[in-house]
Amino acid sequence: MRVFRLAIKELIRRPQRNALLMLAIVVSIALITSLTIVGNSANKTILEVIAKTGHTLTVKPAITEENATSLGNLTTTEVVIGKYIPETVIPEIKKLYDKAIQSGWEKRGTLLTSIGSIEKEIRIEPPTWAPRLYEKVRFKDKDIIVAGVEFDKEYFVRFWWNLSSGEWPTDATRLREVHEDEALIGGSLSTALGYKTGDRITINNMELRILGVLEETNSPDDYMLFIPLKTAQKIFNKKGLVSLLSVRAMCPQCPVGDAMVELNKTITGITAVSQLDVAQVQFDFFNMLYKFLLAVIISTIAVGIFSIFNTVTGSLYARVREIGMLKAVGASGFQLLRIFLYEQLILGLTAGIVGYTVGIGLAYILNSLLGIKAIIKLNPEYIWRALIFGVICSLAAIIYPAYKLSKIKITETFRTQWEI
Amino acid sequence: MDGFIQAIELQKIYHVGNQKIEAVKGVSLQVPRGDFIVILGHSGSGKTTLISMIGGLTRPSLGKVYIEGIDLWDLGDKELSRFRNKKIGFIFQSFSLLPSLNVLNNVLMPVIFSKKAKKDRKALQSKAHSILSDLNMADKLNSYPSELSGGEQRRVAIARSLINDPDIILADEPTGELDIRTEHEVIEIFRNINEVYKKTIIVVSHSLSWMQKAKKVIVMKDGLVQRDIADPVEILMGGHK
Repeated sequence: MRVFRLAIKELIRRPQRNALLMLAIVVSIALITSLTIVGNSANKTILEVIAKTGHTLTVKPAITEENATSLGNLTTTEVVIGKYIPETVIPEIKKLYDKAIQSGWEKRGTLLTSIGSIEKEIRIEPPTWAPRLYEKVRFKDKDIIVAGVEFDKEYFVRFWWNLSSGEWPTDATRLREVHEDEALIGGSLSTALGYKTGDRITINNMELRILGVLEETNSPDDYMLFIPLKTAQKIFNKKGLVSLLSVRAMCPQCPVGDAMVELNKTITGITAVSQLDVAQVQFDFFNMLYKFLLAVIISTIAVGIFSIFNTVTGSLYARVREIGMLKAVGASGFQLLRIFLYEQLILGLTAGIVGYTVGIGLAYILNSLLGIKAIIKLNPEYIWRALIFGVICSLAAIIYPAYKLSKIKITETFRTQWEI
Repeated sequence: MDGFIQAIELQKIYHVGNQKIEAVKGVSLQVPRGDFIVILGHSGSGKTTLISMIGGLTRPSLGKVYIEGIDLWDLGDKELSRFRNKKIGFIFQSFSLLPSLNVLNNVLMPVIFSKKAKKDRKALQSKAHSILSDLNMADKLNSYPSELSGGEQRRVAIARSLINDPDIILADEPTGELDIRTEHEVIEIFRNINEVYKKTIIVVSHSLSWMQKAKKVIVMKDGLVQRDIADPVEILMGGHK
């Protein structure tokens, strides 16, 4: 038998006490792990949204929550059915937008003679405007959303789109002509309907050829059939109307927020939303919440470590006579210290593994309860952190009492027995 | 200097608050190899302090302890631990077994702390078997201390004290809390260890039953050796004062 095995046997001897001791560390690790996983995943998800949307503004008809649309298991106010923006208003919107961007830059000290010019090393590209017309149709006993789009514009605005099969109805580099009967289908809709690239689908007596299937984007786009805007306006009899305008600013720090404020203030019947601002607000709010919760948890852990220290000290002093006996039969102070350290090391590692596992479960629960909808991503680094944290907590609590006990005089440990 | 164990003018002073307690007041002993000594005395007579100074458990306030010519209290913690582990077997009245280990592992416990642990594993196990058989404990190898009687626990402690083949066995009240029959069995075991294993034994006890088997009896009172009796029968005949 070795010192390590002796430590294991001593641990097994007090299962309840050790389980309680571990509990404090497990809870701490589980809380930190879950918060870190959710925090990092949420931030990553939000950052991805920011990266995806860039400086994008969407303009849609003014709506209330009642106008929310159900798409699969998604309910969203991003897709508005039955309310429209007349195309005749679009020039005014564009004009206001350009003016607001220009004055926004000026406010920041950059003089802009016109959009598209170069001033102070900043090249301001003209924005891309992508209109959409949404209509709901009944198809094969299912409600599906048909989105009329200008594919060449959409290609720039939704730059994160990828095809899982097929080809684009348009390609800016090849300047391919768009046919009025060509369509793209969202990934989820393709699966739900069983339609794939090359299939033909008839909407309102118009036969359309599916040119490609979009990869899933975790957005309402996954549930839509995309057809040319002109075709949509024709078959749904909505000539001169659109449901949504997406504007990609095409510059990294464009003052899109200024344009949003200006549009909402000036034009009635529309709502302009800056995706970047929304994502930034979410990001800032979540960061604040994350820091607050982390501070609460760290305070709790500080108290927890103190209670672990007390428990460990108490339990070691309860073993003082055994320690005396071990010293009497030849255990040196260092060998005794090794026994205690092994015990705590095992406890710390076990607590780390259990805490990490519980933390993952908790992360999923938190994600769902807080409605963060972050895509939980596990990082191997978290398990190492959990193990190191468990061991540090465990050892920190024992080092001082263990050192003191390893130095204790043998006769002191037998005080009641070794009388003078 | 004569004697396998030599204690020279041992003195131990404890400080309790402002009080100075002189537990042992200058005791000298010469113990030849293979001797079997019993130290008798009332509680507080200093007998346990004396044996713990001889065994390297309590540092004397004054005086020297030599074992085989080695000045025990000149050794550092590590050397002293190693010396105790190799040269001295201890038997205590209680708290002597680890509850988490079975009989065999309790006996082998001193080996964990010696250099022998890594080698001779099988040889040591068979030695533990053999010692436990000699002590009629062969059928209890896998039992845990809580499953043993007081006498059986004492036998395991004796077996453990022998596992490293020490030259000296120091026992503090090894028959305390035992019934008369078990006490006699344990005393007989000690006599056998002295005669068969040729170990030098120093026992501290209240019990006069030891006198029949011991080769020498020392009676302590108030921290001093009151009587040093080479023939213990004398005590039995004359009574112990």
